[in-house]
Amino acid sequence: MTRPKVVPIDGGRFPDEDDAALRERLQDLEAEVERLRGADTGEGGHERRSEGLLVALARVLHGGRRAFTWERVARLWAELYFAWHAEDPDDFGYDPVFTRTFMPFVEFLYSVWWRVETEGIGHVPASGPALVVSNHSGVLPWDGAMINLAIRHEHPARRECRMLALDMFALMPFLAPLVAKTGGVRANQENGERLLRRGDLVAVFPEGVKGIGKPYKRRYKLARFGRGGFVRLALRTQAPIVPCAVVGAEEIHPMLANLSWLGKPLGVPYLPVTPTFPVLGPLGLVPLPTKWWLDFGDPIPVSEYGPQGAEDPILVNRLTQEVRATIQRMLDARLARRRSIWFG
Amino acid sequence: MAAPRTAVTGIASFLGARVLRRLVEQDGAGSVVALDVAAPPAGLGVAHRAIDLTLPASDQQVLDALREEGISRLAHCAFFTSPRRDSTYAHELESIGTLNVLAAAAAAGVSHVLLRSFTAVYGARGQNPNFLTEDRPLQPNPGLSWVRDKLEAEQHAASFARRYPDLTITVLRFAPLLGPDVHNFYTRLLDHRVVPTVLGYDPLVQMLHPEDALTAFAAALEKAPKGAFNVVPKRPITLGTALHTAAKVPLPVPHPLAYPLVDLLWAAGLADAPGAFVDYARYLFVADGEKARRELGWSARHSSRDALISYLRYRHAEPQLWPARASA
Repeated sequence: MTRPKVVPIDGGRFPDEDDAALRERLQDLEAEVERLRGADTGEGGHERRSEGLLVALARVLHGGRRAFTWERVARLWAELYFAWHAEDPDDFGYDPVFTRTFMPFVEFLYSVWWRVETEGIGHVPASGPALVVSNHSGVLPWDGAMINLAIRHEHPARRECRMLALDMFALMPFLAPLVAKTGGVRANQENGERLLRRGDLVAVFPEGVKGIGKPYKRRYKLARFGRGGFVRLALRTQAPIVPCAVVGAEEIHPMLANLSWLGKPLGVPYLPVTPTFPVLGPLGLVPLPTKWWLDFGDPIPVSEYGPQGAEDPILVNRLTQEVRATIQRMLDARLARRRSIWFG
Repeated sequence: MAAPRTAVTGIASFLGARVLRRLVEQDGAGSVVALDVAAPPAGLGVAHRAIDLTLPASDQQVLDALREEGISRLAHCAFFTSPRRDSTYAHELESIGTLNVLAAAAAAGVSHVLLRSFTAVYGARGQNPNFLTEDRPLQPNPGLSWVRDKLEAEQHAASFARRYPDLTITVLRFAPLLGPDVHNFYTRLLDHRVVPTVLGYDPLVQMLHPEDALTAFAAALEKAPKGAFNVVPKRPITLGTALHTAAKVPLPVPHPLAYPLVDLLWAAGLADAPGAFVDYARYLFVADGEKARRELGWSARHSSRDALISYLRYRHAEPQLWPARASA
């Protein structure tokens, strides 16, 4: 850039010291200009604020047909996308901006629709790896979202909890990116181990499809806990197991019948018939406003067995049954105290 | 001690050319030999042996060249980075060519062979864990000869490694390259204004900056470890985020339609890859770089997003990428 010329007013030069001070000031200003310019072009580590969606939209609309170029459309498209997506999602594809977009809705479900109450949330460790193990129910995986929100909002450390998602959710079109962006990870040993080893809090639902697609008459009767994969995970990473019992989720979509013969060709392991679905069409997807409790139990340490315990099938099975019995006990205790499905 | 003499194949490929140049800078032109049908740049002053690896007798030619030049290291980079229409030629070069090179290297008593491979050999599958480690079985998607040939090359390497314990074979599985001067399948896709995607899928993908690829190559040549190593960027990026960062308009196509459609376009000469490639836009094939960090002491300096942005900056003088996102 050109330097502004200093024009002497009284025909003579400035005294030297003034000259030096002016020069210094000029240099400061130039540096400031450079800094702002750098910020403008996105160089020098400064992130320029984007124009914003509305400005981009206004540019296209205001310019009329001539302004309707590919470039503008693409830019508008990108504005639209980054208005609710992060620029750089994490290793597993978790997108905090996207998650934040949905947060008000999930918070509404948590505090108004299901009036979730938690007990013993302090059992979730404030730092370090831990495996939250919970029963699974409710046809749609809302229980995972509620556990996540409970730990995020009610735990003193406000931790993020990563869900290990069933294949049916983690691989289904549309649902797969949604699960990944909201912090879910496809459930398998490798993913779970990686998350726990880096110190994350991980939630699993060992009942899997058998739990979430349970008929109404088998509510709150825990299904088989997989093949103990979660215990092996905990043993390998030496992460404590925090049992969690969700009460209330079984009744949000009471499943009267299962049209699995129709679901199979559609690529879903179960197709429920509930009092509202499919009779009311999309309205049937609205969950019933039951009253929920999330009870967290005492952490079950696995450190006494060591990582090599994961190779001992008898031990793995024993621990699996132990965790299952603990959660069943917690469920039964809560159900005994519950007087109404709707009001608690 | 004099620098070990190194032979490089596939010097016309992006990585091969740069590896050659780097070796010349490092060890001097006298200790580098180019084995390729294409001649190296004259200015480099590198010895050149014109050998066509697809010819039946090329193993003998390679053997003679290795013996006469006194080669102790060999960097095998003769692979196609993009799917080829002429799949027979690609198969001859990649699978059989690798077999010839390995046979000659073993017979000539070369101590270290470095094989350039691809993370695509793991195959993109829904069942993949988020990060594939090197011990994962290689199951490329059937019907994709581009990957199958690479798999066969790796299988040849594994069998030679078993049969010749004295021969150190390092396999580097590079994530797809993206950065300045790169021209491959991915950059051709990014040059379109509208990029087709698979409806309802948004997998994480990895894009490796060429600088990182080169430093990994150098580290592997220096350490000469046995076995396979993933060479991957610091962090993956979702396909959707990448396309929007490049200000592309994605065109989602339902997957039952996408495979036949891309096959049709490929047959008509309009698509850059056959239909089976759709799997790579649908499922994960993200590899884990932990082993390279542990055993090679190498890790990437750039993330996938950095690589993408450096490519966009290079490609467009006035990067028409999303302006606010331009700062890396």
